[in-house]
Amino acid sequence: MTTATREQTGSTIVDVTGDIDMGTSPGLRKTLLESLKRSPRLVVNMRDVRYVDSSGIASLVEVLKEARNTQKKLILFGLNKAVQEVLQLTRLTRIFEIRETEEEALQA
Amino acid sequence: MSYDQGIEVRETPPASGPLSFRMKITSDPRLLPVVRSTVAEFAAIWGFEAEQCRKITLAVDEALSNVMRHAYKNRSDREIELNCQANADCLEFSFVDHGESADPARFCSQPLDDASLSGRGTHLIRQIMDEVCYQRQFGRNRLSLRKYLPGAKGKG
Repeated sequence: MTTATREQTGSTIVDVTGDIDMGTSPGLRKTLLESLKRSPRLVVNMRDVRYVDSSGIASLVEVLKEARNTQKKLILFGLNKAVQEVLQLTRLTRIFEIRETEEEALQA
Repeated sequence: MSYDQGIEVRETPPASGPLSFRMKITSDPRLLPVVRSTVAEFAAIWGFEAEQCRKITLAVDEALSNVMRHAYKNRSDREIELNCQANADCLEFSFVDHGESADPARFCSQPLDDASLSGRGTHLIRQIMDEVCYQRQFGRNRLSLRKYLPGAKGKG
């Protein structure tokens, strides 16, 4: 898994690529928490995430909690079927703000 | 892009008898993608549709991650044995490790809440698989998972 961070119109966008699993989720968690410190709006591009497991979901939940605690926003976009299925299985679809495209995520 | 990409999904399992294979891996998370690819192919060969292949792969991955995290406390040099068997009506996976015993309650039904950061792995396994059995015997943990083909008799 790799991440790349960019800034756009008051948001920090983190592009995530690859598999998020037990081996890679600690790195993602660290990147997202650090990005959240620097920006009021964190947008996570998951278009190129082909797999996520429960540790990846737990990392996203942790970042979401931090965003709520600090009155910031976390928005996910570009979730493929595999990622959506895991969110549904863990019953977490509703707690995240999810958009289909980057444009929609930036406007949210 | 996901694990079903490029995998030929067959409509029915081949009639030439059961298939099985065994893997011994070290408890290193870098091996998880290797196992996922293999299990996704195995499920597809046996006639599971793409969505079910993804879910079965997820359940196996969660089971291995649990062994690495809880039984072996994140030590990456321990041994895990994974047996995969395709029977006429189901796929069976068993995981054997020599780590610390698991709390059987973890494999029982427990409510999930939004705030919880743990317990989602076992929840996923139970959601996906039809049968989940954990045993501690002779200093070893053995977790068995079974997934029936759609319409199979044993499916509860």
